[in-house]
Amino acid sequence: MLRDKYHAVVIGAGIAGIRSALDLAETGSDVLLIDRAAHPGGLLSRLDNQFPTDGCGMCKMLPLLDRDTSEATCLRKGLFHERIDFLPATELSDLQGEAGRFEVRLKQTLQGVDPQLCIGCGACESVCPVEMDDPFNSGLSRCKAIHRAVPHAVAGGYVIDPVACTRCGACAPVCPTDAIDLAFDRRKEFKILVVDDELSVRDSLKEWLLNEGYSSVQTAASGADALTLLSQSSFELLLIDVKMPGMDGVDLLKLAKGDHPELMAVMMTAYATVDTAVEAMKSGALDYLIKPFDPQAMLAMVNRIFQENISVKEQQVAAGALIVSGGMVPFDPRTGVNSYGYGSCPHVLTSLEFERMLSGCGPSQGRLVRPKDDKPLRRIAWMQCVGSRDCQISADFCSRICCMAALKEAELARAKSGNAAETTIFYTDMRTFGKSFEPYRRRAEEENGVKLVRARVHSVVPESESGDPVVRYAGLDGRMHEEVVDLVVLSTGLRPAPGTEALADMLGVDRNAWGFFQPSPFATARSKVEGIFLAGACTEPMEINAAVIQASAAALEAGRTLRHSGSRLAEARQRPSAGGSADDPPRILAAVCTCNGRLDKTQEGAAMSADLTRDPAVINVQFVDQLCGPSGWASLEQPIERHAPNRLLVAACHPLRHHLHRRTMAERTGLAAHLMTTVDLKTDLLPPADNGADLTRREADKAERRAKLRMGLAYLKHADPAFIEQTPVQQRALVIGGGTAGMQAALAIGDMGYGVDLVEREAQLGGHLNWLHHTLEGHTVAPYLTEISDRVSTHPQITVHLQHEVVAAGGWAGDFHSTLQDAGGRALTLRHGVTILATGGEEADTTQYGHGTHPAILTQKAMERTLASQEEELSAWGAVAMIQCVGSREPSRNYCSRICCPTTVKQALYLKEKNPEIQIFILYRDMMMPGFSESYYTQARRAGVIFIPYDPQQPPLVDTSDGARVTLRTRDPIADVDLEIGVDRLVLATGVTPRLPGRLADFYGAALDAHGFFQEADSKWRPVDAHQEGVFACGLALAPQTITEAAAAGQAAAQRALRILDHEQLGAGHPTAKVRTSLCVLCERCVEACPYGARAIDPEQRRLVIHPAMCQGCGACAAVCPNGAATMSDHNAGQMLAMIDAAMG
Amino acid sequence: MRLTKEQEALDSRDESALTAVQEMVRACIQCGTCSASCPNASAMDLTPRHLWRLVQLGRVETIFRSRTFTLCSTCHFCTLRCPRGLVPAEAMAGLKRIAGRHHMRRHRESITFCRDFVENIRRNGRVQEMALMTAYFMHMKRPDLPIRFAALGWKLQRKGKVSLPRIGRSSTHLEALFRKVDELESRKNNTLQRIGSSSATD
Repeated sequence: MLRDKYHAVVIGAGIAGIRSALDLAETGSDVLLIDRAAHPGGLLSRLDNQFPTDGCGMCKMLPLLDRDTSEATCLRKGLFHERIDFLPATELSDLQGEAGRFEVRLKQTLQGVDPQLCIGCGACESVCPVEMDDPFNSGLSRCKAIHRAVPHAVAGGYVIDPVACTRCGACAPVCPTDAIDLAFDRRKEFKILVVDDELSVRDSLKEWLLNEGYSSVQTAASGADALTLLSQSSFELLLIDVKMPGMDGVDLLKLAKGDHPELMAVMMTAYATVDTAVEAMKSGALDYLIKPFDPQAMLAMVNRIFQENISVKEQQVAAGALIVSGGMVPFDPRTGVNSYGYGSCPHVLTSLEFERMLSGCGPSQGRLVRPKDDKPLRRIAWMQCVGSRDCQISADFCSRICCMAALKEAELARAKSGNAAETTIFYTDMRTFGKSFEPYRRRAEEENGVKLVRARVHSVVPESESGDPVVRYAGLDGRMHEEVVDLVVLSTGLRPAPGTEALADMLGVDRNAWGFFQPSPFATARSKVEGIFLAGACTEPMEINAAVIQASAAALEAGRTLRHSGSRLAEARQRPSAGGSADDPPRILAAVCTCNGRLDKTQEGAAMSADLTRDPAVINVQFVDQLCGPSGWASLEQPIERHAPNRLLVAACHPLRHHLHRRTMAERTGLAAHLMTTVDLKTDLLPPADNGADLTRREADKAERRAKLRMGLAYLKHADPAFIEQTPVQQRALVIGGGTAGMQAALAIGDMGYGVDLVEREAQLGGHLNWLHHTLEGHTVAPYLTEISDRVSTHPQITVHLQHEVVAAGGWAGDFHSTLQDAGGRALTLRHGVTILATGGEEADTTQYGHGTHPAILTQKAMERTLASQEEELSAWGAVAMIQCVGSREPSRNYCSRICCPTTVKQALYLKEKNPEIQIFILYRDMMMPGFSESYYTQARRAGVIFIPYDPQQPPLVDTSDGARVTLRTRDPIADVDLEIGVDRLVLATGVTPRLPGRLADFYGAALDAHGFFQEADSKWRPVDAHQEGVFACGLALAPQTITEAAAAGQAAAQRALRILDHEQLGAGHPTAKVRTSLCVLCERCVEACPYGARAIDPEQRRLVIHPAMCQGCGACAAVCPNGAATMSDHNAGQMLAMIDAAMG
Repeated sequence: MRLTKEQEALDSRDESALTAVQEMVRACIQCGTCSASCPNASAMDLTPRHLWRLVQLGRVETIFRSRTFTLCSTCHFCTLRCPRGLVPAEAMAGLKRIAGRHHMRRHRESITFCRDFVENIRRNGRVQEMALMTAYFMHMKRPDLPIRFAALGWKLQRKGKVSLPRIGRSSTHLEALFRKVDELESRKNNTLQRIGSSSATD
């Protein structure tokens, strides 16, 4: 089913991988998405609630334009997009070629279940006799050896655990689609050679293996004999005794491996020679058995090796670009210096385990009880920075997500317990950086009663009698505290996913000191290898918002490479045709799945057939086996050709999987996809044979199935085949703001061949890049500015309008018009299909701490300018103080500006570098040094910078009476002393305020949030989109961000814009809203009700108009319309009533 | 140091030694893990965290007014747990050395005891309790001290924990080892002094 050639291969199907794949697919690329797991979704498939919205909403990533290309369903159930092929249990095994022409070798290891055939019915699970710890619930609950990898996955979700499975074979015969292949008959051909000097061992091994079905077993009494046998015939597996007279096992292994490198071997050893066996594994042995061994253990090992050997499938595809989104894994506390009782005390869990406990499909179905003894949880303690910010275990970085995750978990625990649970978070710095995290903390703390304690817990010890964990910590007052709690949750940090090193070596991509992939300076999505891009947490621990932005940026970069190498201009997929006109009488072909004979064709089938053919619209009825899969659908092609129906009714299980089959069928037969429908008869739940189930129950089920068929028929008969209109697209973009983000967005769109108008208020491009000197990482800003502003100014597709402002605008996705005005008042009107708001922000002004009254008191921006311009002055400074959160994180400006702490540390390090004798004092509340910027915080501490926390209730006092110097008075809470600090400069970190005029946002239908930043459609899943399609934002107008983040956001916004620009016409999906103009009284209720802004009144023609592509077919308009003027193309009233009639029989 | 109002003075040798201690705890983030792990914390007037903060701030007088560092038994529990990878026990030892060299009156008891203890071992190859205590009482020159220790001494004596002094063994095989230590110590001190003075130049 794989194509030979893809535009891009995405490695890792977590959130970032899915976002990249969807972005590329939406701009016309064919994508192969692979993952080691059996299901897309990554770590997020195990998190039901994610901050800062506390819900999921992953489905918001699905396409909104061309929405018929994918199944609009919960992404946790599966990803179904016509341009994306997902390959589970797959890893990259080799990469050759270069950007534009990669040859990608893939290795898929399926443990006996074919995901293409598995329909997820669960018959196998019910007969499996083996129970094991459920890995999905982190071992807190039990599951069968054959189980769903992710419980909510709809199809293809079953996997066999290779270690737990005993290969008893119970599951294979009950599978209705023959998806399980344990390959018992292939055991006969699996050639095994047993080498042991003891006859009894040889004979018993041979006997056991024969009984298990391995009939090609031979034996050899010595190494020499074995070599003779190996030269005569080929073997697959060797069982070798380590200690043999003459040639010993290890020597034999080396010789045998030398001649036959593909040979697999297992060493058999006495306890005393285990070291030798371990040594042998370095020479290529797969495993070892310790004598005397249990026959079952030996057979399990042989079975596992056999199964792995036959389940590996190598495939090769060509691809233009590669996106690596390998993700991360939580840190295992047991590998740290202090495990905090994890693994020994059952009441200590990791945060991921606690997330599973909160979940409805978790070990306790979401009840808040202790996993070990079902005790209701009343006192829960979170411990931050477990495996993060720990220099002892080479983790001098912050994992970024744990503070917010802990706040969220505590809030949810409070809510679930009806506020009865006492929740305490022990933290060092509460890192709620950015525009939406700080208000979240405030709400958790002030409204929801989550207790925050600034302390690092030293140890967790179970209480001797109750076993309840006791946490011990030193309070700020210097006193020791001990608290008994019911449960301890360790906020574990993140590590690169296993295999990152091997993958990096294979790709030739660098890794950083902590093993994460190393992106290029100012370009998080770019690796050092052309054509290989990076997305998500494999580059740095990050939250969903950042991962999604970076993934879109990676998709953009990949698209750029594809275009550059000429492979992007692929054949456009044939657009599905309309279904004919409304006047054509319906000609329906009905197809019913017999589900491996479970549906009784002669009796029930005949009744169904009679039911259906009674309706003259039904021209033919087909009974097909396995209509849930591609083979069943393929067998329908012939009848369709013969009978030429114009609609298709399919009765089979798992309708979500049919989306792709419908699209394929539409392509092959010309039948419109929206005129095919599936009714789910749930035949897979039928007992395999008539086993005497309750007769009345069976009759009721039969009646239900027939009613469903009639309903499907009624739906199709009344479906509207009419083609839905399209709206033309102005294939140009308007980017407002010529800073980092704006320039990157303009370049991205320009590089893809579309015209861009870039509007800048100032006389030069660059925004803040014009005054920033260097970044925290030490990269100089000026060359970067020159590089991108030169590219923008000379780009053939980009028209720069300096000293212009937008004074009026209107329109919607695909067709905007904006009027620009220059300083002289001359106006210019542009038409464009998309708008990108990159209007930026500025450093907030302040009058606090004597700013403006004394020349030595300055803001960070003024300091940066001083550092950049007059370096000679620095040596004269004896001391400098810096105050964080000036005017920020206060009720008046209740957000964290994200960039001030890194800037402060950057400036402090710079000053220390220029003058090691200088004394620097940083007065802070929480040092927001997320991700790898933490290591610079450590550097600053090591360099002797003194960090003094202050209480916002008692801010530091500034005294300027001492001439040129400034005196600062503050209290150090740890040393418990009042400090008086005389400094030569006082630097104030005042934070960032957005510069996005409400009027400008309003022109394009965008909105501002409470702080004046751009309001995203969804902060996690659509972080650069406005609610209204066609409007995007990036840079400081979107949120406080660093240069690199702004560049990524600019590219992400461009990628989202390209979805529209890539179309000459924007078409509608199914269903779409319609209006009966004759009935419409222009009351505008529907305009207000539409959540997508897809409806408006045309003032000239006095009629209601609907944007066909912006409409998502939700039906809110039809529900509020008082006189039935607002209707839907599908699911309209006539159709619904006919279906109800049909259901009633 | 300029940042404090307290006027505190140490001679240059001690100041450089203190700078070395400051270097050791510079990366401290005041998380308090050392304080919570310290088995002797309850007996200390300042917690280790408090002490490190004072070291960072250069509050010399307050540091040496405290008995905290003399109570460190060098169990290294704090070292094991410190998330910054620091070695607080080493820093404690650094402070002890300064106090000892400076013959600080406030720490006379521990300085004297330590010196007598080491001297006792040097002479006997093991602790001779009776000789140790006799020397200690003599050096402390406080008549109330023997009386304060009398009850404890009696208890130990009864349990046979106190060995009587043995005559005629003034030198042991340990002498070579001690000489080597002396040699190393003086070299280390010189180095410390060099590091300290080079980073303390104004």
